[in-house]
Amino acid sequence: MSRTLIALFCCSAFVSSAFAETPAEILAGIKAEAATTAGFQGFSAARGETFFKAKHGGEWSCSSCHTDNPMNSGKHAKTEKVIKPMAPKANEERFTEPKKVAKWFKRNCNDVLDRECTAQEQGDVMTYLLAVGQPVAVAPVAKPVEAAPAAPAAAHAPAHASHKHQAH
Amino acid sequence: MTKKILVWDVPTRVFHWLQALSFLGAYLTADSEKTRQIHVTLGFILFGLIAFRLVWGFVGTKHARFSSFIFHPRTVITYVRSLLQNNAQHYVGHNPIGSIAIWLLLGMGIGLGVTGVLLLQDDVADSVVDIHAYLTNGMLVVIAGHLIGVAMSSVLHKENLVRAMLTGHKKGSEQHGISHSYAWLGAALVIAAALFAYWYNR
Repeated sequence: MSRTLIALFCCSAFVSSAFAETPAEILAGIKAEAATTAGFQGFSAARGETFFKAKHGGEWSCSSCHTDNPMNSGKHAKTEKVIKPMAPKANEERFTEPKKVAKWFKRNCNDVLDRECTAQEQGDVMTYLLAVGQPVAVAPVAKPVEAAPAAPAAAHAPAHASHKHQAH
Repeated sequence: MTKKILVWDVPTRVFHWLQALSFLGAYLTADSEKTRQIHVTLGFILFGLIAFRLVWGFVGTKHARFSSFIFHPRTVITYVRSLLQNNAQHYVGHNPIGSIAIWLLLGMGIGLGVTGVLLLQDDVADSVVDIHAYLTNGMLVVIAGHLIGVAMSSVLHKENLVRAMLTGHKKGSEQHGISHSYAWLGAALVIAAALFAYWYNR
């Protein structure tokens, strides 16, 4: 028994290290899958953020457990167990094992959406999580990008800004 | 002289069916955070049942004792040969192949319990998750084998082994039977499992 356990232990340690990848490689894999869908136009961090923070008909959103800030540790909505940050910027173990990524997307999407997530949804969320906490890129660039899907606000903001400009 | 004899005492039967149900239930509740609490409750019950079974294997009635179903490999081979020659040896208690399933299920059940408890802690190595999953798959394979074995053996010896595990009775000679059913202990097992489930989820 114990010998079997040790063997399994070594085996799994080997397997998990053998398939370690970078978040970019994993995202590329999801992208390749999403690209097979007609009309695929790439991933959007903004769409991912909206998806992450919204409920999808069920009791929970992603952020119910992972909080609204993926740089922070989360808390399991039922057990209150601590969940390490989802953003690779805060937790470099995130998105380094394709098997784990697939497992948790499947499991958590079932809890949040009552179905599996599409490659588009996975890619959007992952793009968002990878972008969060980027020291330079996110702060100035993210604002207009994030505002994009909320059409009225987006239409307003630049207009407002240009107004101010003209007033000068 | 063949008559109806008591082979399986009540705690052994209660253990068997509660173990089967709690494993099935835990398996079905393993894939969602919403049913996680049920999964963990059933896992603890399964672990507790196995702990009881380990004790009962030393102090229980004749056919429940480990000593009655530790078979020498030679005995297993002889048994397999008797099967192949269509002249199957008959065992009142566990037969040599069935006993292998029991040892495997007990061993893997312990492994599942240990890794399961470890997984309740924060920050557990991924390999523990993997081992928990491997053991689950191992259990499924052995359970499948066990079910096939029970079906084959039932047909071969024209005795309904499923019913025997429910009623405790088989047909055999009186000397192979047991005299006490220890019904109170079986009831205590059920009550203990129910109390634990209530306490853990209160």
